[in-house]
Amino acid sequence: MKSLGNRVTVGFLSIVLLLFASGIISLFELGNLSNDTEIILSASRRNIELAKDMLNYAHEHSQATLYVACFDDTAQRDVCRRTMSDLEGKLAAARSEAVDATGLDSLSASITRLRAISESYLFEPQAIPTDTLVVTANATAHSGMRWYNEQYKATYDQMIERIEEFMTHTHSSLAPRAEQLNKNAYRSVAPVLISLVVLIAIVLMFYFFIRVYCVAPIAKINRALGDFLSYRIPFTIKADLRDELKELAENIEKLIGISKINNR
Amino acid sequence: MRVSIILRYVGTVMLCVSAFMMVSAVISYMNNIDSGFYPLLLSALLTFTLGAFPMLFVPRATSISNKEGFSIVVGSWVLASVVGMFPYLIWGGEFSLINAWFESVSGFTATGATILNDIEQLPQGLLFYRTSSNWLGGVGVVMFALVILPSLGTSRMSLSNVELSSLAKDNYRYRTQVIVRILLVVYVGLTAVTTLALKAAGLRWFDALNHAMSACATAGFSTKNASIAFYDNVVVELILAGAMLISSIHFGLIYATFLRKSNNIFRSEVVRTYITIVILSTLFVATSLFGANIFPTVWESLRHSFFQVVSLITTTGFATADTNLWTPFAIVILIFVSIVCACAGSTTGGMKIDRVLIFCKILMARIRRQQHPNAVIRIRVDGIAQDADLLNSVVVFIVAYIGLIFMATLTNTLFGQDLMTAFSSAVACIGNVGPGFGEVGSMGNFANIPAILKLQDSLLMLMGRLEIFGFIQLFFLKWWR
Repeated sequence: MKSLGNRVTVGFLSIVLLLFASGIISLFELGNLSNDTEIILSASRRNIELAKDMLNYAHEHSQATLYVACFDDTAQRDVCRRTMSDLEGKLAAARSEAVDATGLDSLSASITRLRAISESYLFEPQAIPTDTLVVTANATAHSGMRWYNEQYKATYDQMIERIEEFMTHTHSSLAPRAEQLNKNAYRSVAPVLISLVVLIAIVLMFYFFIRVYCVAPIAKINRALGDFLSYRIPFTIKADLRDELKELAENIEKLIGISKINNR
Repeated sequence: MRVSIILRYVGTVMLCVSAFMMVSAVISYMNNIDSGFYPLLLSALLTFTLGAFPMLFVPRATSISNKEGFSIVVGSWVLASVVGMFPYLIWGGEFSLINAWFESVSGFTATGATILNDIEQLPQGLLFYRTSSNWLGGVGVVMFALVILPSLGTSRMSLSNVELSSLAKDNYRYRTQVIVRILLVVYVGLTAVTTLALKAAGLRWFDALNHAMSACATAGFSTKNASIAFYDNVVVELILAGAMLISSIHFGLIYATFLRKSNNIFRSEVVRTYITIVILSTLFVATSLFGANIFPTVWESLRHSFFQVVSLITTTGFATADTNLWTPFAIVILIFVSIVCACAGSTTGGMKIDRVLIFCKILMARIRRQQHPNAVIRIRVDGIAQDADLLNSVVVFIVAYIGLIFMATLTNTLFGQDLMTAFSSAVACIGNVGPGFGEVGSMGNFANIPAILKLQDSLLMLMGRLEIFGFIQLFFLKWWR
């Protein structure tokens, strides 16, 4: 590279390209950050929705079971069946969609247990030990209530606890994910910050080199020319000149030589 | 002092560092563009621009003064560590600003101390970059610049005068240009042979290359949290111990031995002393371990004591066992070898066996002079009489070295460290060893020490690598006039 102009242009271009590259990488990291945030938030929202639906179905199932067990409302058996299969459907959905499947196995086990208990009572009542001496309607209602309180309620509460755990786990797992997000956010800002520091260093070097290799030699040439014109001191430059500045000094020397010849 | 000339030549070192960053970025790319790719790519670009920029304006120097040479070498190490932080900082994770600086300095000074709790979570590109900083630092960043950029011409002399201490150059009976070539031939050759041997022993190519680079640089960065203990393989340990031992011997002597010259390893008094210390230390440590029932068999005791002695005396810092659990006697011997360290003219750091040998001879001469006050006693190493200046500088260096260890221990205890951690971390950092004992033991790390102590330890590593006085000079204003 022989031209001063070229050097300055390349210097500026390198600064611009560096800014551009760091900007692009930051944008890319920001894009990643945005995607990650969206994925985490939507996953969290979906988990909460699923847990809410499960709680609703569980509640409906509990109510219908109560009607069947205590009031022998046979119409509610279908509701029991439907809500149980809905509950299982939501569990399957949670399994396939959940970002974090922790707690789903124990929830599944408690749903299976509830299904087994309710089906054995609602659809196979002969399996339930009843007081054979008292077979009146009141007695049936009484034994149903007892079954509901002693067996169904305990399993139901256990399942509700598991659903709540699944829901709260989504929240508690947000903390490490938020930390990851924080890291990602840092990663999207770090390139720009570091590029900025490097660019400040480059700009300072640029200023220093322009002063040492352009401004100072020009000042020296100017001073030497002034000394020659004012006091006839021979035109000499005590500096390492390069490129156009070297040519300038040589041309001035040639001009002085020509003017000396013309003056003779 | 011409600052622009210094900037130009420090820039060439930056270009070397950026080349290694680029290679690491390629590894990241090949590993399905892992999370290290963009940090490494951007860092390579930034470092390249920073290094190439002075070359646009500053013409090649026909000569370089000693002061400028010193400044170039010290500046190269400091700036390599500064730009070396970029990939870590951009990647994030456990790397805060202080942690990134510590890891970078530890890498380029071939110390091998780490702040990472979980090394294995790093992407492959970043793991390779970390090891390559060890490899670059091992042989000296400036040595690379001297070979890669042949345009330096006569400037080579001044730079290598600074880079290789007079002790280190003692066994090189060649021109400076040849010295640089010898250094690289031995270094690259040894790394290649070790890589192949480790691969043959069953390591993956990536792990084999990383551990070979780290062993030949006598640095100690591993790709595994448990270091070499992860493999639990005697063959791997023997290969690495061999590589560390060879790398800790003067490269000129290794070269001369290959060429069957007279000044070879077998005739060197320094090497004989060094090997004797290794053998004796291994035997003492093994006896102590077997006696205390730490290892059930003599063979196991010998195996682990040999590896740890070699790892610490060569300032590498690989580990096959938790040395914190060893006997106090074994720990004292390991601390002793961490202070003495290996031969000058190798990739090792520390006090160097050459200096210790000369120091012992000075002590003996002093005792003899008391018995025979008029005797003329010359101190000789390998039959060559050493001049008074060298003897004086050896004593001053040893005093300064011990003084720095004492001061650093004092500061460490001031910030609440226990005595063992405080002392051993000072020894490990100034000697570029890496692991110490206590909290910073062979299976521990520097993650939990206070930030101010991390800065102090980084400073110690730089001072140790630049043999104390080269680094201190830069802080005197008079130097810059």
